[in-house]
Amino acid sequence: MGKAKFVLLLSFLVLLSCSSSYYWKMRIEIPGEPILKLDDFKEIVITDFLITKETKNFDLNKEIVDYFTSELRNEFEGKISSKKIPLEKEDVFKDEEFWKAQGEDLKEALLVSGSAQYTEEVRKAILERRKDRVDDPFQSKRGLAERRFYTFLLDLYLIDPKTGKTLYKRNFKESQGYKNPKQTAHFAFFDLIQRVKAKFFQNILAGAKIQERYLISK
Amino acid sequence: MYKNFTICLVFTFLLAFSYSGCSRQLADNQIQFGVQAAQKELWDEAIFRWKKVIESDPNSAAAHNNLAVAYEKKGLWDEAKREYEIASKISPKNKYIKSNYENFIKNYESFKKEKKDGKS
Repeated sequence: MGKAKFVLLLSFLVLLSCSSSYYWKMRIEIPGEPILKLDDFKEIVITDFLITKETKNFDLNKEIVDYFTSELRNEFEGKISSKKIPLEKEDVFKDEEFWKAQGEDLKEALLVSGSAQYTEEVRKAILERRKDRVDDPFQSKRGLAERRFYTFLLDLYLIDPKTGKTLYKRNFKESQGYKNPKQTAHFAFFDLIQRVKAKFFQNILAGAKIQERYLISK
Repeated sequence: MYKNFTICLVFTFLLAFSYSGCSRQLADNQIQFGVQAAQKELWDEAIFRWKKVIESDPNSAAAHNNLAVAYEKKGLWDEAKREYEIASKISPKNKYIKSNYENFIKNYESFKKEKKDGKS
């Protein structure tokens, strides 16, 4: 009887192993597809940005141009330059003739332009302060809490000066609140533009992602 | 006593038969060859093997799934989507196919969205 049970169990296990799926878990590098191929251009020209709202003690245009010049230089093998182009209205980005006229001296270049806004505000609220320790003898009390918020809005355009057409357009809105009431606009701007950079570069450079997939045999 | 003996005999026979069939099938299996090729990063060879399996057995969910993974690896999104859909249709309860497809769709949708956002 014991033997019969053993054989039954064994045959059940073998049948089970034969009928179930075999699988191999693999980590594979999945390529991204860039929206725009930077290699198609020999030069990237960063123009001035249209600043829709000035920020006190902060040169937003200069900060954006400097940041993109430096970051694009790490990723692009061709020439990176900047050009002063007076931008007055948001509509200018749709004006193909305007961009064609600006790019007469630029051959196989890509124009980086856009409009931007950087705002700062202090928000106050009455919040309950939590006890630091469970056995804290003092009652938790309500108090005035202050947060400094920074918001960065950027409409980024990549324009082909040969045709004047927009090859890429994306609106970015990044916001961050800081507990530190003395948080400076410069440091906050760096945090926010880094987020923009991550999204923008993912679009135009499309780095590979490592992910897990199953290969199966049944 | 005789009853037990008969049960033993039947199951031993079943065991030997299924095991030999199973191992022979696995040994001949192009799918496994493809998997080995994929593990060595020879994805074109793997695709060739799995396509061969599909030619002889269009209902092989494994071959369609593996082919979809290979297409993903090569950045051929639409082909990968098609193969995952076939694999899911053939074997809707297979948890590995389901997992692969769900992860693929996340990438695929974000890619399509980024492309749309970038050009809008």
